[in-house]
Amino acid sequence: MKVSFFETARYSAPDALPSEWPVPSGVYDRDAGAQAYRGMIERLEYVEELGFDWVSVSEHHYSPRILTPAPIVSAAFIAARLKKITIALLGPIVPQSNPVRVAEEVAMLDTLAQGRLVVGLLRGTSNESLTYDLNPSEARERTDEGMELILKAWTEPQPFGWQGRHFQYRTVSIWPRTLQQPHPPTYALGTSRESCEFAARHHLGCGVSYGSFEAVGKATRYYREQCARQGWQPAPEQIIYRANMLLADTDEEAQESLRKLPGQAPFAMRPGVRDAMMTLDSRNIAGEARAPIVSGALPTTFVGSPDTVVEQVRRCRDVVGAGVLDLSLHPPGSRDLDPLMRALELFGRKVLPRIRDI
Amino acid sequence: MAETAFSEGYVEADGFRIRYMEGGRGTPLVHLHGAGGLRLTPAHDLLRRHFRVVAFEMPGFGQSPENHRTASMPELASTMAQAIKRLDLDTFNLMGTSFGGKTALWLALQEPESVLALVLEAPAAIRQAGARSPSGSPEEIRRLLYAHPERLGSVPLPDPAVWAKTQPLVQRLRGPDRDADLEDRLQELPTPTLVLFGTLDRVIAPEMGRVYRELLPSCHLVFVYDAAHAISTDRPEAFAEVVVDFLERREAFVISRAETVIHP
Repeated sequence: MKVSFFETARYSAPDALPSEWPVPSGVYDRDAGAQAYRGMIERLEYVEELGFDWVSVSEHHYSPRILTPAPIVSAAFIAARLKKITIALLGPIVPQSNPVRVAEEVAMLDTLAQGRLVVGLLRGTSNESLTYDLNPSEARERTDEGMELILKAWTEPQPFGWQGRHFQYRTVSIWPRTLQQPHPPTYALGTSRESCEFAARHHLGCGVSYGSFEAVGKATRYYREQCARQGWQPAPEQIIYRANMLLADTDEEAQESLRKLPGQAPFAMRPGVRDAMMTLDSRNIAGEARAPIVSGALPTTFVGSPDTVVEQVRRCRDVVGAGVLDLSLHPPGSRDLDPLMRALELFGRKVLPRIRDI
Repeated sequence: MAETAFSEGYVEADGFRIRYMEGGRGTPLVHLHGAGGLRLTPAHDLLRRHFRVVAFEMPGFGQSPENHRTASMPELASTMAQAIKRLDLDTFNLMGTSFGGKTALWLALQEPESVLALVLEAPAAIRQAGARSPSGSPEEIRRLLYAHPERLGSVPLPDPAVWAKTQPLVQRLRGPDRDADLEDRLQELPTPTLVLFGTLDRVIAPEMGRVYRELLPSCHLVFVYDAAHAISTDRPEAFAEVVVDFLERREAFVISRAETVIHP
């Protein structure tokens, strides 16, 4: 099992924050922001020292919960400061990006990072479609087309035009190209039938997140079935499972932390917007309809002492088939960083060495 | 729609009686079809709004009698050049689809002064090793050629009898996957050329597009997303838009004219 640390740039607000998304820019504290990014690098130096294989970054907007609206910028900064760890760019949100620009930035980043890069491409969470005025009903199609264009821009050696449905270019010919050939290991992130089929068709990895082992296991099973239909078999490392983990010395302590977690997302959309989004944004797990996650808290699927968590990882491997765990060791957005550092240390000492061979 | 806007005609050339469909006004755009024969698509209808479209049925295809005589692709190109001259088309744009893409290239090599610009739709002149021309039942051929067969509308599936009649001709003329003689000559062909491949082409690998760009002195390559081999049926609007833009502006078509003002 490979292990990835999901880095969210922890922002510790000096004052209480409004709870609605989007969070007003005016309440942002510039010094707290500067500290968040300083702390990010200090934490990641420790993460690297503990022996994590990857550090992952993601794209989220308009709130302090995850302070990385431009994950490529964080990834570049991290790549410059850390020498060994692989950078997992598990953004960018494709339907609201210029795919050619994404292809160029990833190529540049892969080269700057001397090939220490893996890339996840995704449609993004529901609220993100408000960020740049993306029509949620077009998001799926724009994602598929954008991903295909990114792959083409990485691999086509001659200048080309793209006559798409949502994207049109007359001239594409990127410089630099990616250092890794034909391109960095790439994942289609998501549990949907469309995402799994795209990944299988293009021999990409698959990344799932947050659901129960059984729920995301449906998606990874479907992904593997689709790969088999296309005549290939993904390696374990081609399945990433991103999850929350509450690790403590004892099961009781971990369960106590779980009870204290809020039941709602820290920054939720207004109810009227949320309800409208529920009807406009259709989502599925391997073809079975599911509600979009618009304001609920994300589940925590690893909870307990090191012994318990090691067993859960074993079960996760059996049910989900994941070869990479991308972990949030403490709820993103929580202000108190001490428990995170304690959990990191405990994970590094008592869990990481025992899950390598799983 | 497409059918009514085009009228049928015949021209005698090189000992053949050659059928064609003609519609629209303006600069002539001659079309040479693929191995499946002449079929009008919604793209023809979009193109005839800008050009005088003349779509030929090459000897041996469709309604014409079996063609035992034509021995090579350059020979077929020469026959078609004569047919075009008989229609008094001195200069014209030339579009070739798949098999007809190779005919169009030979015609442009033979008549460089007459061909203003070339459009090659999923051309079969340069093929990946072991490429096979579509065969099987009409249903199998349909699955191979189209990503969106639902967009075929009323266009009939290939008639197995007609398909069987043309197969010997197609096999005789299609030539090797890589035709060294043709590829040598292409390096001297000055005609502005647009090569289109569907991203889902299952007959000719879309990666072959780059070879045209490497060989031809003036070549643009465009991928049509979510289209298979039959681009002009799968995505007629996307196909026609870029073809019209290229034929009207040649290489300046790379400069965008799309307006992005939302409100004045």
